[in-house]
Parts: sequence; C-alpha cells; structure tokens
Amino acid sequence: MGRAIVITSGKGGVGKTTTTANLGAALAQLGNSVVLVDADIGLRNLDVVMGLENRIVYHVVDAIRGKCSLQKALIKDRRIENLWLLPASQTDDKDAVTPEDMRSLICELKATHDYVLIDCPAGIEQGFKNAIAGADEAVVVATPEVSSIRDADRVVGLLAAADVPARLIVNRISQNLVKRGDMLSQSDVIEILALELLGAVPLDDVVIATTNKGVPAVLEGKGLAARELLRIAKKIAGHQVEDKEAVGFFTRIGRALGLSASAA
Amino acid sequence: MWSDIKNFFSGKSSREVAKGRLHLVLAHDRSGLEGGRLQEMRAEIAAVIAKYVAIDAEAVEIQIETRSRQTQLTVSSAITARNV
Repeated sequence: MGRAIVITSGKGGVGKTTTTANLGAALAQLGNSVVLVDADIGLRNLDVVMGLENRIVYHVVDAIRGKCSLQKALIKDRRIENLWLLPASQTDDKDAVTPEDMRSLICELKATHDYVLIDCPAGIEQGFKNAIAGADEAVVVATPEVSSIRDADRVVGLLAAADVPARLIVNRISQNLVKRGDMLSQSDVIEILALELLGAVPLDDVVIATTNKGVPAVLEGKGLAARELLRIAKKIAGHQVEDKEAVGFFTRIGRALGLSASAA
Repeated sequence: MWSDIKNFFSGKSSREVAKGRLHLVLAHDRSGLEGGRLQEMRAEIAAVIAKYVAIDAEAVEIQIETRSRQTQLTVSSAITARNV
C-alpha cells in the first residue's frame, strides 16, 4: 500500500505544481512507482509542467465516471521508469467530483503505486476539500512572503482539523535577501507556522527555464533548486539526509577527519 | 555586517517588519474574530469587570498574540483608584 501526499498552499502561484512535478520525478528516480494526480479540475496545469499535455486522452473525471478504466486515464512518462500522470479535466467544474470519489480513486492508486502525489488547487473551497480527502499526509508549500504564509496558516489549520499531518517546504528563498534583512528566513517561517521543515528550495532561474520546456528540473539535474528538491524527495522516502543547516562546513571537515561533532 | 549597520541606522529590517505583521495578522485570523466582534467582546468584558471593580471602561485593552500554534487572548485594564 502506497502513501498519498497532497501538495497544498492556500495561495496560488507559490509553486505547488512545480513542486509536485519535481518531487514526483525525484521519487521515481529513487526507484519508486509514482503517480501524480492533478486535482485542479477546470484549471489543469500539471500536464504542461510535466510536458505531457499532448498525450492526454482521458482524465480524472472520465475515470471517476467510469467512462474509461483508471489504467487508461494514466499517462506514462517516457523519460523515466515508473512515473505516471492522471490529468485533471479542463472543461468540468470542481463540483464534478466529491471527496468520496477522490478517496476511493486515491485508494485504488495506492494499491498499485508507492506514492500518489496530489496537486491541490489554490483556495480552501471544494477543490481543496476534494484534494485532501484521500491524502495520508500533506506538504504545505509557502514562499517567504506575508500573504503566502498567512494563507498557508489557514491551510495548516484546516489540515489539522481533517487529521492530515503536514510538513513544510519553503519555496523560492533567496539567502542573499535573507542576509540583507529583506526576506523572511526559513527559520522565521517555521517559527510562525510551527511545522516540521522538509526543505527550503532556493529561487533558481533553472526552474523557470526547465518549466518552459516542460521538463521537471530534477530530470535535468541542474541547479540548486533541483538539488534541494531531490534532497526533500529522499527525506520523504525515509532516506538518511543531512540537514543542511545543522551540518556546517567545519563540522563536515571534522567528520571527514574522524572527529565527533562535540570534539570539533 | 553591512546589513547590521544599515539596520542600525534605518530601524527594523523589512524581514522583521514582515515577521511582526504576520504574528499580529495570524493571531486575529486564528481567533476567528472579525474586527466588530472583537470590539463587542471588549465592551462586554469591560462591563463585567466594572461590576466588581472601578475601571475606566474605555481603557480596557484586548490583545491577541500568537507564538507557534498557541494563540493567547489578553485583557488588560487598570483599576482606577477610589477615594475612600
């Protein structure tokens, strides 16, 4: 039985879809079988971010209504083993699907995949309720801005009320701006939202370029954002990863020389 | 270093301002109280306190503050001195 993880944020435009695409690709690279579900019915975008928009025949609403089998609605990513996309419908309305529909759909996908990543729509209305219905856990994406963190806080409250444990990704952080005192740091965001941090993804031009091409940045393997997203995927998968903040340069040298952290 | 010097002369950094604003906004969001309701509550609490001790009802202050996921409501009021 796989794990269903919803990627959510409250506010739109903070990088939910890009995060979903990259975490999915990274988890598949690590050898897991992964299906990405676009829960943003009526405003689908995960297909274009993944570069799979030309291959859509059926979508999630077709599968729920029994117009096709669930297997038929899944698009296999040819660039990497074990990665599938279940696209959203572009013409239906959010009310075309109920939380019960989503719960049974996600349950069916979990039976055959290690990870089901659900790309949640912005907002906290019906689409959000549908997206979290089948989720075992949540990843909240927030950029270090007042509006994004405020909306994330609402979502964290709603997830807690629905008994969905949540962890945090701080997206598009610029350490230069943080140092200058012009951006909230990742620890500021953790302190305010009181969530466990999965990682802080740096603002990176590479992501814009790869998204233009419809390739998840982790598949090109270039840039700091891709590296951090891969690290986060490893953390989700339960691999041992070092916390960047906790382990400084000198500690690493110390370790390399065989000194314990306390001795160094 | 340079940013420290800059902040020393210009007051708070925008990062600190953002943090302060968020603490306040989230406290109100989490309480679920809109502005009008908060004032209603303040007036009612002031009336209750005034039944027992002498206070200046206008000077009763309500503060909602938040630290991590704990939100605290503080009501403060000075008791006015009585001439016995």
